[in-house]
Amino acid sequence: MLTAASAVLILVALYLALAGAPEANLKSETGRFAQRIIYFHIATAWVGFLAFFVTFVAGAAYLRTQARKWDRVALASAEIGTVFMLGVLVSGSIWARPAWGVWWVWDERLTISLIQFLIYVGYLMLRSSVEDPSRRARFAAVYGVVAFASVPVNFVAIRLWRTQHPLVFGTESGGLSPNMMFAFFFCLSTFTIWYVTLMWHRIRLERMRDEVEELKQRLV
Amino acid sequence: MAYLIAAYAVFWAISFGLVGSMVLRQRKLQADLRVLRQLVGDEAGRSE
Repeated sequence: MLTAASAVLILVALYLALAGAPEANLKSETGRFAQRIIYFHIATAWVGFLAFFVTFVAGAAYLRTQARKWDRVALASAEIGTVFMLGVLVSGSIWARPAWGVWWVWDERLTISLIQFLIYVGYLMLRSSVEDPSRRARFAAVYGVVAFASVPVNFVAIRLWRTQHPLVFGTESGGLSPNMMFAFFFCLSTFTIWYVTLMWHRIRLERMRDEVEELKQRLV
Repeated sequence: MAYLIAAYAVFWAISFGLVGSMVLRQRKLQADLRVLRQLVGDEAGRSE
């Protein structure tokens, strides 16, 4: 049910982003088309940040309770967040080409986003390199809590430093005009539901993995 | 227009990649579970 609702909402969001939302007030046709990338780009970034926040909360909860369910939540969320951050980097780079004339610049926001992505790739690599489940969960929880520091730094980067990356709200260049807000918030809500759906399936997968391990132990 | 198509194509590729990898892992785990449940069942039957 949740999966079907997500699929329908994503199709509606896609329609809004590509056709339903008003055109940006930009001179070049390429720029106007490229502007439509940001509806999904920002929503993807939002899910990345949300996912890393959930990893942080679940990691802290694991350290407090040692309950395996929190480790499952942290892993599921980190994996989804990392994939979405990859989407942010790639879609941002594609937007940058027509907007800035280059695929990539080493400005603060972009560099921090890349580092953040690599930090969470490191989280997943750490998990796969520790054999003992309780040590793995403990190390990953600590890493997930510390790694979350990258999220607020990334969020405030465009406010702290004068980066090339546009502010979404309250700017004259590159920001969203009020009549674009419906499509923007619709995409944001849709992606949040999409994230919940993915989490549900990913956690279920992890429960199955636990059951497999338990049955293997019984046979041994 | 090409950039718009490219960006959304990347989004779909990444989304399907994630969902596809989850489906494949689920299938493998389901197959493992089937075999393991059968083995555990056989083991329990033998010990009775």
